[in-house]
Amino acid sequence: MASNSRAGSGVAAGSVIASGYNAAVTRPRCVAITGLNTFVGQRLAERLLAAPDAPRVIGVDLRRPLRLEGRISFRRVDLTHPTADSELASVLADERVDALVHLAFRSSPTADREYDHELETIGSLHAMHACSAAKVARLVLASSTMLYGPRATNPNFLDEEQPLRGHEHGHCIQNRVEAEQLLAEWSPRHPDVEVCVLRHCWVMGPRYVDHVTRYLERPVVPVVLGYDPLLQFVHEDDLLRVFEKATLEHAVGVFNVVGRGVLPLSTLLALAGKRALPLPGPLLYRLADYPAQGQTGDRPSAFFDYLRYLWVADGERGWHAFGEPTYSTKEAWISFVSSRRLRRFR
Amino acid sequence: MSDTEIEWVQGAGEDDELEVLHLALRDLRREIRQRTGGEESPPGISRASEPAAVAEEFDWLAAFEELRRRAGNFGMVERSAEVDEFGMDAHTLQRSRMLLDFLMDRYFRVDVFGLDEVDPQVPNLLVANHSGLLPYDGLMLSHAVERWHPERRRPRFLVADWLITLPFAQPTLARLGGVRACRENADRLLRRGHSVIAFPEGAKGAAKVFAERYALKRFGRGGVIRAAVENRVPLVPVGIVGAEESHPILFKAYTPARMVGLPFLPVTPTFPFLGPLGLLPLPTKWIVNVGEPIPLDDLEVGALDDELLLSRLTEELRGCIQDLVDDALERRESVW
Repeated sequence: MASNSRAGSGVAAGSVIASGYNAAVTRPRCVAITGLNTFVGQRLAERLLAAPDAPRVIGVDLRRPLRLEGRISFRRVDLTHPTADSELASVLADERVDALVHLAFRSSPTADREYDHELETIGSLHAMHACSAAKVARLVLASSTMLYGPRATNPNFLDEEQPLRGHEHGHCIQNRVEAEQLLAEWSPRHPDVEVCVLRHCWVMGPRYVDHVTRYLERPVVPVVLGYDPLLQFVHEDDLLRVFEKATLEHAVGVFNVVGRGVLPLSTLLALAGKRALPLPGPLLYRLADYPAQGQTGDRPSAFFDYLRYLWVADGERGWHAFGEPTYSTKEAWISFVSSRRLRRFR
Repeated sequence: MSDTEIEWVQGAGEDDELEVLHLALRDLRREIRQRTGGEESPPGISRASEPAAVAEEFDWLAAFEELRRRAGNFGMVERSAEVDEFGMDAHTLQRSRMLLDFLMDRYFRVDVFGLDEVDPQVPNLLVANHSGLLPYDGLMLSHAVERWHPERRRPRFLVADWLITLPFAQPTLARLGGVRACRENADRLLRRGHSVIAFPEGAKGAAKVFAERYALKRFGRGGVIRAAVENRVPLVPVGIVGAEESHPILFKAYTPARMVGLPFLPVTPTFPFLGPLGLLPLPTKWIVNVGEPIPLDDLEVGALDDELLLSRLTEELRGCIQDLVDDALERRESVW
């Protein structure tokens, strides 16, 4: 697979994306969201529409959401389709879209590795091509600080200029690293499109669900013996606020979206009253190997290395551009834990 | 959270949330009643005789719960709910203060010279010779500076990769103020106003064999000088004597080390033979000799593009620390 061959190379996307300030862009009058069915997609659409001078919102996805706000016009485009770029471009041109928010990524890796690659990497490429073809002024891409990769030799704070080293065994992470590489190649060729990449860390909150929250929800959490990395979280409200601001304003470049403060994993678990089950690394990886192979096709290290090594991102640039986050890492964690505690009574 | 967001939540299931809260409250009430023993006896009757009888019995349930809690925390010292951004834990430090004081006053009997020349109000970059395998030198130096500092500010010591990547080392060292040695971390610490202790000899210094003791190895690639000049902080040379003999490495074994993935296996008079007990340092007499701070204010940042100047400055710094070490060696009467 291409992801493996590119694993070590990495890009410093922060320095490559060089779209200038596009003075012609005012507040977007029409926003398209690819991946309407995602957590961010649905709520971002509702937030955008709630403002007094709300833009029109076009939702693009594979399936119509079960609960669709009346003012969102839904268009069905399959990003894995070979001609998805022209389909999406015609949608964007028809509706005269000013800003595209590309969110069509997996929240958790799945067993269908090939489809994941088509959706995440090639789907992003289609979205970029559609943007330049339909003269969209602004592209907001969702990314993750997981792409920096967990390494024992990381500096304590990874800023946006650090190379994206990903994780060689996590196929979804490699897909997104590739997507960012493609963006870094595409962006200088299309300086008329403003690009904003939002790399967010693990999200915590009452409603957000992915494989991380499912793992940390358990009363007994297996951890790697002898390692206690510092972790950081961002609260879902802060995440949505940042996405909203990034869509409506002129932020250009790459931003880490993280909460303030860091806490060691053991302290997080102690705060939540959960029990850590420390297992020696080789044993834990062996035990987790079969379920992980079944669920995602990835080695267990693709997840457990993130509970082992440091991968804390420096959020200074994001805080400066989008404002102070309301929740710190600890508050986001407490919000997550207390909501899950209530849920247990249901 | 904006107004619309709240509306959305309420719209989704206001009654649902309320019901859950009621259920939680009911369970809480029931639990309180059970704990106070109110369920069996009606509220009017006094239960004065009961508690005395209960106190006689050993509370197995509580003991079991306590045991389980401790087992859950196994290998971790008690911690606070806040750490600073590099993972230093004030609570852990407070708890280990007695041990550090003991090591400093009784075990190593550290004598500190020349610390009064240092300006406590600015962040300093302390540069010391590295020795003795485990980072006792960093711990002792940071403890010495903290005790001397009027505001008890603790400098952070930088730890080489090979040590901080080992299991158990990273959580422990991070809580005590150790930070992985790299330029990004040093710059960030200095910018935030923390003093930093660097060992530019790196792993080469810690792994010196006994025959090479107190002969300083090459100093990195000038990163210390760059960090000091770019962050406008004074360089403070420090010579540490005594750490070398606390873990005298007789020779390094490579073949068994390769099997467990270590760079080398140090053989000291005690280490592999006494097992983990051999990791205890020998109680040598230590001297920490702090030199006069070297101001680098007159140096422009651009001047360091001249590589020859950079290497000359680095070499001067090394000579300066070597002098401090030699001076301390002369002062010391005995190894013990």
